[in-house]
Amino acid sequence: MTVEVGVEIPEWTMADVDPQRMKTMAAILRDPYPVHWDRQSVAALGRGERVINQGPLNLSYIANMLMAWQGATCIRRLQVSFGDPVLDHEHVTAAGTVTSIETVGAEQRAHCEVRLMRDGQPVVTGTAVVALSTTTTEVS
Amino acid sequence: MSADELAELVGHRFPGGTRVIEHWENFLLTDCTGRDQLPDHLVHPVALFHVPIQGVGTTIGELFALGKVEGAGSVGLDGYDWEYFQPLREDVEYRFDGGVVETERCTTGSGKTFDRFVFSVELSTPDGEIAARITNHWRLRR
Repeated sequence: MTVEVGVEIPEWTMADVDPQRMKTMAAILRDPYPVHWDRQSVAALGRGERVINQGPLNLSYIANMLMAWQGATCIRRLQVSFGDPVLDHEHVTAAGTVTSIETVGAEQRAHCEVRLMRDGQPVVTGTAVVALSTTTTEVS
Repeated sequence: MSADELAELVGHRFPGGTRVIEHWENFLLTDCTGRDQLPDHLVHPVALFHVPIQGVGTTIGELFALGKVEGAGSVGLDGYDWEYFQPLREDVEYRFDGGVVETERCTTGSGKTFDRFVFSVELSTPDGEIAARITNHWRLRR
């Protein structure tokens, strides 16, 4: 596989954001914020009775995309901003584009624009730096 | 919280400490992300949210209390900057150090007040090598 500027990273889809996973995540994080597990707390905010996915889980879909692309140890940096919340049972897709390639020591790294999309609109946007696997042919 | 109290948070240091990422925790965390488990005891990269907070000796609840916010709708995520200098692995006793690095009182276009609250934590290996650094940007709504 050739990686060059402009290459689209293969997308990674979470077809159904699961509220049960949010509960497990809240326990792992020791996160007392009720919007992730109490529908009534979200309803009080005028967003309907649907719980809000944790920001780290939204980011994890982008991380999963990058690891599926270049391997489990490829991520060097993630810089992201969060937009509208993702709610339970929504369908989101992580996507990205290579914007530049650099060499750091013996490592080839791709700088990428990354995003998490819902209904064609971004809900997480940012950049990632990814070490390219040795089985990848890089073109700068 | 007054603007002066907010400004005084800059420089606040968390207690610091050490923490191990255990297999059960990493397994459940990875499962929550919807992907297969990682090989070779590698920790899922998204562990850099809660592990630094807990490892540095605080909690999400304590951070809310430090910023004097509580209840649904009081906190938003502005962004993360996470740097990985080496892969994180289960059962390694990482060292954690960090604190509040930036605050700013802001006003929205509609006149609502919120505060930018930024904290940073570094993870080091038992050998003293830096393994990762996180800088998290939160929005505390007033």
